[in-house]
Amino acid sequence: MGLEEKLPSGFVLGKVEDLVGWVRSSSMWPVTMGLACCAIEMMAAGTPRFDLARFGMEVFRASPRQADLMIVSGRVSHKMAPVLRTVYDQMADPKWVISMGVCASSGGMFNNYAIVQGVDHILPVDIYLPGCPPRPEMLINAILELHKQVIKGGPLGAHREEINQQVEAAALRATPTHEMKGLLA
Amino acid sequence: MSSTTPSATRGAGPAGTEGVHEFTATGGDWDQISAEAERLGDERIVVNMGPQHPSTHGVLRVVLEIEGETVTEARAGIGFLHTGIEKNMEFRTWTQGVTFCTRMDYVAPLFQEAGYCLAVEKLLDITDDVPERATLIRVLMMELNRVASHMVAIGSGGNELGATTMMTIAFRDREEIMRIFEAVTGLRMNHAYIRPGGVAQDLAPGTTQMVRDAIPKIRNGIAELEKITLANPIFIGRQQGVGYLPLAGAIALGAAGPILRAAGLPFDLRRTQPYCGYETYDFEIVTETGADAYARMVVRFREMRESLKIVQQVLDRLEAQDRQGKHPVMVADKKIAWPAQLAVGTDGQGNSLEHIKEIMGTSMEALIHHFKLVTEGFRVPAGQVYQQIEHPKGILGVHLVSDGGTRPYRAHFRDPSFNNLQTLGIMCEGGTIADVVVALASIDPVLGGVDR
Amino acid sequence: MADQGKGRSPARTGTGKNVPAKTKTKAKAKAKAKPDFDVDGDSDKNAVQEFLAPVAGFGVTMSTLFRPVVTEQYPFEKKGTYPRYHGRHQLNRYADGLEKCIGCELCAWVCPADAIYVESGNNTPGAQYSPGERYGKVYQINYLRCIFCALCIEACPTRALTMTNDFELAGTSRAEMIFEKETLLAPLRSGMLAAPHPMIEGTDDDDYYRNEVTGPSLDQVDWVRERRPDDETLEAAAAAAQRAAQATVGGAE
Repeated sequence: MGLEEKLPSGFVLGKVEDLVGWVRSSSMWPVTMGLACCAIEMMAAGTPRFDLARFGMEVFRASPRQADLMIVSGRVSHKMAPVLRTVYDQMADPKWVISMGVCASSGGMFNNYAIVQGVDHILPVDIYLPGCPPRPEMLINAILELHKQVIKGGPLGAHREEINQQVEAAALRATPTHEMKGLLA
Repeated sequence: MSSTTPSATRGAGPAGTEGVHEFTATGGDWDQISAEAERLGDERIVVNMGPQHPSTHGVLRVVLEIEGETVTEARAGIGFLHTGIEKNMEFRTWTQGVTFCTRMDYVAPLFQEAGYCLAVEKLLDITDDVPERATLIRVLMMELNRVASHMVAIGSGGNELGATTMMTIAFRDREEIMRIFEAVTGLRMNHAYIRPGGVAQDLAPGTTQMVRDAIPKIRNGIAELEKITLANPIFIGRQQGVGYLPLAGAIALGAAGPILRAAGLPFDLRRTQPYCGYETYDFEIVTETGADAYARMVVRFREMRESLKIVQQVLDRLEAQDRQGKHPVMVADKKIAWPAQLAVGTDGQGNSLEHIKEIMGTSMEALIHHFKLVTEGFRVPAGQVYQQIEHPKGILGVHLVSDGGTRPYRAHFRDPSFNNLQTLGIMCEGGTIADVVVALASIDPVLGGVDR
Repeated sequence: MADQGKGRSPARTGTGKNVPAKTKTKAKAKAKAKPDFDVDGDSDKNAVQEFLAPVAGFGVTMSTLFRPVVTEQYPFEKKGTYPRYHGRHQLNRYADGLEKCIGCELCAWVCPADAIYVESGNNTPGAQYSPGERYGKVYQINYLRCIFCALCIEACPTRALTMTNDFELAGTSRAEMIFEKETLLAPLRSGMLAAPHPMIEGTDDDDYYRNEVTGPSLDQVDWVRERRPDDETLEAAAAAAQRAAQATVGGAE
């Protein structure tokens, strides 16, 4: 927070951001948000054949306060959506979201009354992962993509909070899906 | 539902509910109840073991009223995974319905597929026309899935107790089965492999040998898990006497599967109402008499071994068939049989060139069947049917109603976990909070099936 | 800690009955006259094993230390998938470069997730993309809806749509996960002539469906050379067509 503003911006800050990004990606702890079938593959990704521990991620924290990554794995019903948002809000910054599987990313095959058509309606998503369910290697691939994004560095501290607030405000201002008209209107 | 509990819980703590105010709860608004409880000044705390929890086996809310460390009331709040699968199935053809129902109990997807397809075949009246090879493959896949499902149950149950290596060992050996599924069906989970009339494709060449090679590994995995658990004093201390549900209770609540068999009743639909040729296989119905979580664990271990027995018998029959030549895996009636013949080539997996030649080059009738079956599907005569099969978790029932069209009028699944979860209250009340986790793990609900 | 006897399991507390064996299997366990398919645990343990049963778990851990590691080091070593794996889709071409997709939309009909969108267009003499009358003008698969059930490849009547074994599909936005026809089309192999171009002289679409076309013909190459002289596939296709023509001539003689 205060330190970045005091350091000379540009080169040094860039290096600090890269270092911090690398550190953050090396032990990103997921929060247990296993909802449905994808949760089984997420659990399988933590088990010996695929072993997320190689990337520092075998510790699935049940408490959102101690986690930095939310892997939304499974279909999000309208009843579960507020719970999901509550857990996301309880996570401390910096936090990332991987929407695992088609049901979390877009509602998947369940385009109906019960399922939220994409968890990005309620959370900002960093990586979308197709599959039904995606095999554990696909999940590891998605996690590594996220690591690449994180390693590239990003804004730190107060700057990051500002950006997050702007993103939230834009999402709240955006046209709700049920009022969108599409290309035919 | 009142808060007085029947005092049938053996081995429970100092449960006594005399002198306790009774509240009648309807409609499930527990905030009002907890407010009332506070007002009455009881030393009761209402704790929510919320839908996001590492040990609730999925998105299950368990509302616990606790007094100190003792649970006086446990209620399950479900519906967090309700997907409307049954409603969706009303808008898809009978074959597409397989892809939907397979996602209910996602740990044992082949059972939903099998139950659904057996029900559709009953409605179509082709149960005897399903080729024998298709039935053999169905049994093989189902029994392997049973082993895999029990491994998930045991592994995640152990993980919730803190024994992480139970999960790693269970999933490590479950991977052998996942490899087999991938080799045969193309997917590790949610296969949509069993179709009305048979199965989607024949086994890949070399599959029987692959399964034979995997069996010793799976068996060793089961042995290792047993070694870690069954004689371990910590495990025994946590599981014996916990989640006690005697036979009368299980029958009253409609619980089946390991819960019922651990209470002593050798009830298994594969024996009492055989389907898919189960009457011709040699296997035991495993029972225990403890009726507690430990007994259910032992039942699951032994059931896995019985399933491996069945798998070996099926492999023998499949190999005998292989020696005689090629056998069909789909019913012969071209108006019902799914028309595709998949083959893997250098350009990927798709319809085989022979099939293309037949439908596009040779037979107009084959082309018409292909088009009609793929677009609108086959028609099922009007009527309704109820088909039950023995799911790893209990009894899976499929109720299908057809109005004569290409889509189900109604498809309802009696999911085993839904009924088994009703036993949670009686298992937990009177015990400690830690026992709730153990009892839940021993019921082994899969919320995808509970909520559908 | 002495090895507890691999393949044996501690005594069960229930009433286990051993069913007499009917078949022998090729199991590796050191079964001493063990009947019944070699899957039942060994309930007889000797005194030492019985005594050490409560801590048999330590034996499991110790013995696992000395066993090979089962972890597959993805992404550093990619073991690949089984041949039948349902991976990413691919739209195929015939050997002369024409697309196999005839725009029949069966794949879109059969998809339970409504993930495929197809618009078909008419082949005109100047713009022939596939053998026959129609081709897939717009072809989209929404990979955030696709459940990889493979009903679409089973529906395709020309083997235009197949599934490969690719699975590395993660993306950063929903829009980029809708794959268009250009992304899904199989790349042109060396010797294929880029569409659109007419069918081989004297053939009709049935010859294509029967897989009798093995490469571009000289007429097709000339047709493309007149209209798209800087097409990249011309050289290789011309060479392939020449070889095919000479082979026929040589064979005829």
